[in-house]
Amino acid sequence: MNRTNQTGEYMLLFRGTDWHKKLSPEDLEHAMDKVMAWFESLKEQGKIKAGQPLGAEGRTVSGRNGRTVADGPFAESKEAVGGYLLLQVDNLDEATTMAKSNPMLEYGIAIEVRPVLEKCPAFQHAKGQLLSKAAA
Amino acid sequence: MLLFRGNIWDRGLSPEQLQKVVSDWMAWFEGLKEQGKCTGGHPLEREGKLVSGKQGRNVADGPFAESKEAIGGYFYLQVADENEAIEIAKQCPGLEYGAVVEVRPVADVCSIKQRAEEFSVGQLAGATA
Repeated sequence: MNRTNQTGEYMLLFRGTDWHKKLSPEDLEHAMDKVMAWFESLKEQGKIKAGQPLGAEGRTVSGRNGRTVADGPFAESKEAVGGYLLLQVDNLDEATTMAKSNPMLEYGIAIEVRPVLEKCPAFQHAKGQLLSKAAA
Repeated sequence: MLLFRGNIWDRGLSPEQLQKVVSDWMAWFEGLKEQGKCTGGHPLEREGKLVSGKQGRNVADGPFAESKEAIGGYFYLQVADENEAIEIAKQCPGLEYGAVVEVRPVADVCSIKQRAEEFSVGQLAGATA
């Protein structure tokens, strides 16, 4: 599969925020050096549009008018998003290849590779439904 | 950063409801952009890949097709503090239908990197003590 999208932007979501807990100080330092080298190399190649770590704390807002505000359940979990990178690449394969070269994978994180869209799928869905209703 | 979670909340809506929530959402986004509060934001495609394992040996089709947890898109906010971000999150038109908004501070320096650096400093201090 070699799909492309219109924006050429792909988002890498780094999942798992507790991968470093079991590492010795030396191993942790070594891991961080590798991660920084990986990041710098992608930056030099002009593949990175944006990217930042996210703070471990946060809030989850839900319910009508946001009546429920909870402390995020994402402090330390395998699913929690610890940071993101916005890539500018040719296609999903290139983005996936970059994700595969990330040194943190060795320590148990997972990386979600997502194409960035120009238009919201729900918006398209709404338009489609209205059109088919108008045609009926 | 606001992460919009859940990508099935729109399924039970009538075409009119869906149209309304979508136009409310667009108006919300445009309003925040005009105020300079939102500097970027995009929906994410439903499919994608999940890479894991040493050297990325496992590449799976994303499990985010349809779920309450899946991230459907994001807004990047420029605001004074967390409370302002939460107030903005509360205005999300999808909340009424079950969408969940995760509000996350963006960090300057990775907390793990910081921890690694603290270790090195601690070691140096230990060595010279």
